[in-house]
Amino acid sequence: MPTLLELQRAVHRALVSCEDGEACAQVIADGILPSNRLAVYRNTFASSLTNALRLAYPAVQRLVGAEFFDGAAAGFIEEAPPRTAWLDAYGDAFPDYLARFPPAASVPYLADVGRLELAVNKALHADDAPPLDVTALTRLPPLDRERVRFAPHPSLSLIQTEYPADTIWRSVLAEDEAALGAIDLAAGPAWLLVERSAEGVQVRRMIEAAWRFTAALCAGKALQAALDASPDIDASLLLADHLASGRFTSFALANDSLCANPPEDLP
Amino acid sequence: MRPRPYRTRATAADVEHGSIPAAAGIGLRFQHHGAVVETRPRVAWFEVHAENYMGGGTPLRFLDAVRRDYPISIHGVGLSLGTAEELDHGHLERLRRVVERAEPGLVSEHLSWSVVAGNYLADLLPLPLTEEALAIVCRHVDEAQSRLGRRFLVENPSTYLRYKHSVIPEWEFLAELARRTGCGVLCDVNNIFVSACNHGWDARAYLLSLPPDAIGEIHLAGHSLRRLDGGRELRIDDHGSRVIPEVWSLYREALALFGPVPTLIEWDTNIPTIDVLLDEAARAAALLARGAQETGRADAA
Repeated sequence: MPTLLELQRAVHRALVSCEDGEACAQVIADGILPSNRLAVYRNTFASSLTNALRLAYPAVQRLVGAEFFDGAAAGFIEEAPPRTAWLDAYGDAFPDYLARFPPAASVPYLADVGRLELAVNKALHADDAPPLDVTALTRLPPLDRERVRFAPHPSLSLIQTEYPADTIWRSVLAEDEAALGAIDLAAGPAWLLVERSAEGVQVRRMIEAAWRFTAALCAGKALQAALDASPDIDASLLLADHLASGRFTSFALANDSLCANPPEDLP
Repeated sequence: MRPRPYRTRATAADVEHGSIPAAAGIGLRFQHHGAVVETRPRVAWFEVHAENYMGGGTPLRFLDAVRRDYPISIHGVGLSLGTAEELDHGHLERLRRVVERAEPGLVSEHLSWSVVAGNYLADLLPLPLTEEALAIVCRHVDEAQSRLGRRFLVENPSTYLRYKHSVIPEWEFLAELARRTGCGVLCDVNNIFVSACNHGWDARAYLLSLPPDAIGEIHLAGHSLRRLDGGRELRIDDHGSRVIPEVWSLYREALALFGPVPTLIEWDTNIPTIDVLLDEAARAAALLARGAQETGRADAA
């Protein structure tokens, strides 16, 4: 008699890898082959996760068609089943899987559109977080301001795509054939900011220098170091926009832990 | 039998305290968020899947808006109470946050497992009904009740297979789980019917074996038939159609045994307009009302 853990490992292999010999040996047939009984559960496993991927990657699906998409999803699900039951967060690695999925090689921009949809999905489902208190920033002595490090809002992503993924994504979801036909795939990389605002998920195109400055701040680089690395942009205007848009939720001074509301009497 | 208070609608006090009345509710899915917030239909309460509200953004705004007008029950599908390893503490914490936010009248999960070796298998998988599994489920129910700081309900599953080494009938397993942990039982009448047909059990005997005082909620839903090899049919609990007459009949028997119990209409695939769910809820409400009258007469006699 198997232990519960041994049985669950056998069922895991039966569902994820279709190796159902050990699990079948534990199942009562009662007129139906044990493998067919297990297949009911395998179907639910596969269809729930394929559906989760369809919800997260609608533009990828439209670009390649349902049959192709389901084939890619099946391979991905076997390779990377979810690690948690919160399926809104499932499929982070799907764009990377598409990038190395040989049948997708003829659609070179597919993985880029997937990476944009991953960021959109993250923006849809990320935790809520209040914006940082700007007055606490303004109370800082000037020397401390240089040492400020920001924590980005959980919904914020900065992605760089080789192809114009934002234009493709919008045209595909709008089913705008004319716009799709007008896309210049050789137009160069796109520098994108994806976030959730009060109006919903926003995908904004930035100029490269502004994107690099923002990405440096989101990665926790101190403000002065980020400014020094971006001499060619109006950083104060950009920073004001980020703060007004709630893109940062807290700040810390170099070597301090992050805090949303620092004490009144800062050193 | 202990008589229960019976109401057809949630009162203002129910909404304020979040308590679920012994009345008919419906499972709220995203497709109906807008309709519910705009039209505020006459339904006593709503049940939501915990996993749909574990992030931020729009879903939480709707949850808050619905909760302002209705009592809510939280139904989890991913905690995997029957997992042989440790519970996923990250998932339990996400569940705790949803419960803290929605202040639900009831919280429930399933007698099943979904997680092994850190992988979520995206279905409510059947447990071997053994002493080992019972001890593990009891430990996990204790842990979850302790973490959530409240009693919760455990639902009987629909199953499509049985294991050779199962030794405890499912109804006894549930009764013993409730006895050892103090948890309640969410009696899914459709699941009893489905499993009874699939395994040749007596559905009425199943109901009779459940501890009446532990029954905290009833679920009703539609299911489908799937023909497998050799012409044998399995009933599949797909929540994609109306409740069938045989299940309504079993529901009447459940009410006669348990008294009026909060009753939920669930619909998860091929989701129709909300009118269809309200119509199903009205049928459940009529049976609840009739059961209450009969209970009243019995009490007076």
